[in-house]
Amino acid sequence: MPAILDARSVCLGFDRPVLGPLSLAIPQGTRWALTGPNGSGKSLLLKAVTGQARVHRGQLALAPRTRTSLLAQDHARPRLWPLSGADWLHAMGARPPQHQGIQRLLRQRLDQMSGGQWQLLRLAAALSSADTDPPEQRLILLDEPANHLDAAVRADAIELIAALPPGATLLMTSHDDEFLQALQLERHALAEYLDAG
Amino acid sequence: MPGDLLLIPFGAGLLVTMVMALAGAGLFLRGSVWQALALGQWAAAGGVLASVLHWPVLPVALLLGGAVMALLQRSRDRERLPLAVFLAGLAAITLLAANFSRASLAAAAWAEGQLYFAGPAELWAAAGFGLISLLLASRLLRVWRHAQLAPDVAATPGPSVRIRLTEVAWLVAAIVLGSMVLGLPAALATLLLPAWGAAHLARSLRGHLLWSQGLAVAGFLIAWGISLPLDQPFAPVLVLVAIALAGLARLSTRYRPG
Repeated sequence: MPAILDARSVCLGFDRPVLGPLSLAIPQGTRWALTGPNGSGKSLLLKAVTGQARVHRGQLALAPRTRTSLLAQDHARPRLWPLSGADWLHAMGARPPQHQGIQRLLRQRLDQMSGGQWQLLRLAAALSSADTDPPEQRLILLDEPANHLDAAVRADAIELIAALPPGATLLMTSHDDEFLQALQLERHALAEYLDAG
Repeated sequence: MPGDLLLIPFGAGLLVTMVMALAGAGLFLRGSVWQALALGQWAAAGGVLASVLHWPVLPVALLLGGAVMALLQRSRDRERLPLAVFLAGLAAITLLAANFSRASLAAAAWAEGQLYFAGPAELWAAAGFGLISLLLASRLLRVWRHAQLAPDVAATPGPSVRIRLTEVAWLVAAIVLGSMVLGLPAALATLLLPAWGAAHLARSLRGHLLWSQGLAVAGFLIAWGISLPLDQPFAPVLVLVAIALAGLARLSTRYRPG
């Protein structure tokens, strides 16, 4: 399988490099869970892929025509936010999934959802963003998707992730062992990809 | 119904109000209300400066408003810098007014609003800009929708740089035109308060835009209906009416079922 994401000796950070050099290649169509302790740079790697963090040295390349979506670790909601669930999906370029749990949220205001509902909606949007494109071109980055999920929506979240079409590539971080186990992802410790020396 | 002499000011004011309500909804969604204050203040400063220099008001107000927006867009500080720029604009107007008699008259005009004296030029400007706003509406919405996403990232491409710059230029022009026609306090009230009130009432983005329009137009009509028969300046009456309507919108959510 060709790599959809290829990092070669990259040093990542914001104003200055704080992670790397790091080299890894993620084959197209695989489902990876990136593991490591807090502060090890998992989120930073995802942000660098979407251009929210800087590549100070080395080369970070995506396969041509790759469409990348990201579920960030947290998304603080304004106290007053007159947008509905349907508006959010529209903004993310996602068609509303047929999933019942999501359908229920389409008419609800974002600032009136519970933390779990908000996380579930964001997850569904990240998973469905540009889903009319060929799955092989899609790279979905999920940063701690199990955060804020209460028991009521946890099973829905697992169901949505498991329903990703074959060919789409998933790279996620999580500290939640049960969640990872339910999804049966390949686990990769970030530390293993740090260049020696 | 307004008399024949007042049809032009009425039409110009109503059109500008609708444009300002749209701009206000956009600023609310972008979380940029402080920028509006700074921009409006410097548009007024530009108008006052133009009166001192005997230059045409609109280009100078647009130029200064544009310069302020360019400065604010370069910074991530969404509160302190716009507030400092707003205060600097206020100081500039006060100094100009203290030193030039023409500036003093112009400053009073910007503060009180000159809606009753709006002529065909203002009406055409408002109609033309309203038409431009209609044509741009879908692109403006796209920018405002996309502005909600960060730190999440969509796989679909965001608005192009050209569209983003168009949106900024449109906002500057809307605020300058609104301040010129309605007066600065009334323009800012129309910009900020209906969108805030609408945010309590709406159930979706579309609802927010519609409620913003509804509250802004209702505020304009009520203020017009009060200020003319009572022979009061329009701008302060509009400010008070806009505050009352936004307050009512806020209160209504407390008593809404469900």
